[in-house]
Amino acid sequence: MNKIIQVSELTKSYGNVHAVKGINFYVEQGTLFAFLGENGAGKSTTIDIISTLLKPNSGNVLIDGFTLGKEDNQIRSSIGIVFQDSLLDPLLTVKENLEIRGSFYQLKRAALQIAIKQAAEIADINEFINRPYGKLSGGQRRRVDIARALIHTPKILFLDEPTTGLDPQTRKNVWDTIKKLQKETGMTVFLTTHYMEEAAQADYITIMGHGEIVAKGTPLELKERFATDLLKIKPIDEAELSETLNRLHVPFTITNHVFQIQLQRTIDSIEIIENCKSNIANLEVINGTMDDVFIHVTGKGVES
Amino acid sequence: MLPIAKRNLLIFFRDKSAVFFSLLAVFIIIGLYALFLGDNLVRSVGNIDGGKTLIISWVMAGILAVTSVTTTMGAFGIMVEDRSKMLFKDFSASPMKRSGLAGGYIVSSVIIGIIMSLVTFILAEIYIVSVGGQILSITNMLKIFALLILSVLASSSMVFFIVSFFKSQNAFSTASTIVGTLIGFLTGIYLPIGLLPEAVQFFIKIFPISHAGALIRQVLLQQPMETSFANAPAEVVETFMLDMGVVYQFGDYTIGVGTSVSILIVTTILFYGLSVLNISRKSA
Repeated sequence: MNKIIQVSELTKSYGNVHAVKGINFYVEQGTLFAFLGENGAGKSTTIDIISTLLKPNSGNVLIDGFTLGKEDNQIRSSIGIVFQDSLLDPLLTVKENLEIRGSFYQLKRAALQIAIKQAAEIADINEFINRPYGKLSGGQRRRVDIARALIHTPKILFLDEPTTGLDPQTRKNVWDTIKKLQKETGMTVFLTTHYMEEAAQADYITIMGHGEIVAKGTPLELKERFATDLLKIKPIDEAELSETLNRLHVPFTITNHVFQIQLQRTIDSIEIIENCKSNIANLEVINGTMDDVFIHVTGKGVES
Repeated sequence: MLPIAKRNLLIFFRDKSAVFFSLLAVFIIIGLYALFLGDNLVRSVGNIDGGKTLIISWVMAGILAVTSVTTTMGAFGIMVEDRSKMLFKDFSASPMKRSGLAGGYIVSSVIIGIIMSLVTFILAEIYIVSVGGQILSITNMLKIFALLILSVLASSSMVFFIVSFFKSQNAFSTASTIVGTLIGFLTGIYLPIGLLPEAVQFFIKIFPISHAGALIRQVLLQQPMETSFANAPAEVVETFMLDMGVVYQFGDYTIGVGTSVSILIVTTILFYGLSVLNISRKSA
């Protein structure tokens, strides 16, 4: 696989605040890459640097083969960004906005019109393309933002918390648009999000904390490594279950008469259940989630 | 550069309140004259032929000078808003030259200034004619047109310099209110310069836009003065011109057309230069 973004030893400080402390990572072409981290972890700083908005103190960044700091304009032509806040003009219509922002990319008039058409198609905004941007709903605006980022058919699309502040239904729509776009165009998508169920659908995840990279891997790898499954059993006879579990050397805790058992692997639950089948009033197996991974990794600070 | 300029023009003229407020100072001045200052002034020139036309032409000339400042200021409001809303991020992440961005704002402010000044000029002409004045000759209209462009360029450069210091919408609104209020005094159009103390007169004379005002007055008042002072002695005409700021004098030296034009051109170059320095100082 071709590495479309390569970041090595990247640092950025604001006075005494070390926002990014020499991080290394890469993004493979055509993947959906999720970049996670708590607020203030250095995510936005990193994205601002990669997207040529901020100068790093040191480090090397290669984007689509272009060197950051030397070939910034080529980089700008090969990336599209959906910013956290809407940065289009509320008084102008969606189409006017797209035409104006599109004309930043030295496209010929005819080519620009075709590009706008295509971007509008992918982001599904034709329904309100002639309405003022400021009059649209949050979800509609987000889709226009995505269309704006796509006008010049970039190779990499950056999305900084694209679904934050949207209602669940709209969030799903926007997310579907992103997934569809990534699938159909094979574009590399680099996104940050606070919603772990979204991150779980990425091909690869990198988690940042306190200016450093604290974990990286596929969602599955991360879950296996940082999240544990939980088996909950409500027994008929508590004393009997305690005895059984002690015999099996399985550690447990009891909350509200419910036994909580941490599992390394989901499959381990079968053996336990087999051994106390007759004593079960109710049971539940909960899979580890990305939320667990995130809390585990960022909560305990630097690991990995 | 051109996409940005085009965008700014679209935004400015679509925001009706921005257009209105950029002309607010003009409305205030007209209001002041209509309500109290006008009659006093007409009376002060005495019972002469076409006194009212003379005074109204004088007021209109002042308004034209002020318009160039307030409308370019309104136009630069877009830049301050873009900066405070971080819209610059979107522009900076596009393959566009940084100088093109600044150039775009300058070009749009100049175009907006010229359009609004021309509109004001047409309205002023209609008003002058409606109170019995004569329509300007083609030559004089062309002169006014050239002076408006010059005045807009000088104003735009000074306003750009002021605006290059502001990052927040609030600071800009406050500044534009202050400028809108002061500009009438600074260019000597609320009150004739002759009525003011020496020190104030001095400030008016060194303020570049006052020279745009004087130049515009010279053209707009040419014909009304010929009518009003047809039989008047030369000293009377001279006193009138000095009192009303049609020409300025430093001591015994009378500032000519060439000097006033040069002042405006130098101002334009100087302040655009300073603004560019100020902006690049910030980004470094």
